[in-house]
Amino acid sequence: MDQPTKLSEEMKKMEYEPLLPVELSLIRWSIGIGVGSLFFLYWLSQYLFPGGH
Amino acid sequence: MEQETTSKKQGWISEDWLALILGLVIFGLCLGSFKGSDLLGWGAKAGVWIDPTKAITTVSAQYQGVKGEITKIEGQKLTLKNKEGKESSVTVEGDTSKMQVGQQYEKKGMSPGMSLFLTYLFALVVMSLGAIALGANLPRFVIGFTLAFWLSYLCWLMGNFAYIAATKDQLAKFQIPWAMSMSGEFGFIFALILGLIIGNFFPGLAGLMKEAARPELYIKTGIVIMGAGLGIKAAESFGLASNIMFRGFCAIVEAYLIYWAVVYYIARKYFKFSREWSAPLASGISICGVSAAIATGGAIRARPIIPIMVSSLVVIFVAVEMIILPLIAKFFLWQEPLVAGAWMGLAVKSDGGAIASGAITDALIRAQAMDIEHINYAEGWITMTATTVKMFIDIFIGIWAFLLAYIWCAKIDVKPGQQVDAAEIWHRFPKFVIGYVLTFIILVVICWPSAKLMGPAEKELAELKATITSLDKKMGASKDAAVLAGVKTELEAAKNRVKTINNDIKEPKKLLGAAKSASSQGDVFRGLFFLLCFFTIGLVSNFKKLMEEGIGKLAAVYCISLFGFIIWVGLFISWLFFHGVKPPTIS
Repeated sequence: MDQPTKLSEEMKKMEYEPLLPVELSLIRWSIGIGVGSLFFLYWLSQYLFPGGH
Repeated sequence: MEQETTSKKQGWISEDWLALILGLVIFGLCLGSFKGSDLLGWGAKAGVWIDPTKAITTVSAQYQGVKGEITKIEGQKLTLKNKEGKESSVTVEGDTSKMQVGQQYEKKGMSPGMSLFLTYLFALVVMSLGAIALGANLPRFVIGFTLAFWLSYLCWLMGNFAYIAATKDQLAKFQIPWAMSMSGEFGFIFALILGLIIGNFFPGLAGLMKEAARPELYIKTGIVIMGAGLGIKAAESFGLASNIMFRGFCAIVEAYLIYWAVVYYIARKYFKFSREWSAPLASGISICGVSAAIATGGAIRARPIIPIMVSSLVVIFVAVEMIILPLIAKFFLWQEPLVAGAWMGLAVKSDGGAIASGAITDALIRAQAMDIEHINYAEGWITMTATTVKMFIDIFIGIWAFLLAYIWCAKIDVKPGQQVDAAEIWHRFPKFVIGYVLTFIILVVICWPSAKLMGPAEKELAELKATITSLDKKMGASKDAAVLAGVKTELEAAKNRVKTINNDIKEPKKLLGAAKSASSQGDVFRGLFFLLCFFTIGLVSNFKKLMEEGIGKLAAVYCISLFGFIIWVGLFISWLFFHGVKPPTIS
């Protein structure tokens, strides 16, 4: 796992990139769909396998 | 999980394909049991011991010695009673007409030392062939594998020492006043710790084993073999198995959608990482460590050095999780065994780590449930849950990488003429999963028709047994001739029904017996590969990496995301989908 490139050099080289609106949309949609589907999948799991809980 | 892109490419095959082939070869040999021949029956099986000479036996009774007084002779089948008064049957070759009831019979079996040596030799030959295919340095691999095998097996035996492994119900059997109730699987933890010590403090010795330090190859091979054992369990409890699969799928949908986005946001917003760093980091921390980091790095066209640096951190944290999480599960989740299994699959960020943690959690929780409430959960269901969750995560990495590649290509890092190829999904697909699914399905298909008959038949037999006991009591208690005649008729009818059922299930029972024998032979090597995985994960976990300049920021994102968010959200999701779902119990 030893790399010839120094991690510290890579960190220093990293430039600041502001969060783009498209990234924020990606994050919001991902979390939104995730939380929304949480309710749906929980209901579905209870509907299909009612004895589970 | 390590993908083709990360597998050592000097040879003509990737680790993924190799694990699939090796696993299927061992699985194929195990199938000999269906023809009455336990081809791998000489494999060494370690059990809980107080007397070191009894620590190892051969996995198949065909290779074990037997001694005792003959109590019954039926053709070639002898029933023997040993010194403790326990009866067992043995099929003998040759003439039995000169044998008599009351005589002593003895058959010498394979010695534990020979069994262990053959196990080592077989594993060495199989893995050396694999090493050649991978283009490894063979002499170095042989030396490394030999050292890794014997050191990790020593840990396995230590873990099975009765004072460490025995559960409370076994104390009388071993005649000891106390034990830690850690189960034999605690040997995995010993192997991990020994690997960590050697890897971090004895670089010379670790260097000797470097060529054989391939934790992902070992675990993937073990997973292919494990599919067979889980297939039998699934056939016997088909409803529960499909329940686990569905819930596992639900759990990972959440993991992908919620985990990734939150970690990406933390890395970008609060730690000011660039997109090139944040995406592989988010995948590495939140999805499946090494492979997800590399797949994401490839998808967004990050420089290869970035996922490699992320991966080196993943391995270190996996080693920490593997020690801590199963112990937390033992004490706090023993009443929700499958929640614990799913948690391992969701929280431990490598295939090796997650499934190995699932295996040790399986053993620890079963021991805890037995100690506290005398509940004997069937073995393997917690491991199956961890494996199912992890397999779904692996399968979806390709789809996730494809989605990210599309978003990056179309929305974030738009370059003229650049397109996303759907073949990327197959390229990222973890091929060893095919082996796991194959062995699983083959055993389900073979066993399900028999298991379907056996379930109701066994239930009816248990009821008939209770009826017969009750009628026997009635017979003894009553002196009325009319009542006695009625009871006798009922008793005969019950006994006839028992005979009929036993006759009906003779073939299914034989088939399931052969399947279980095949699975237990495979399990010897599955356990061995898991053990080697634990040991070599320790070996390659270089904690000095944490001292490297510049790692602090990466480690900080990792620590905050993993211990502050992922582990607990994973626990919540596991609880949500798996609470109240219990493994079958053994009466």
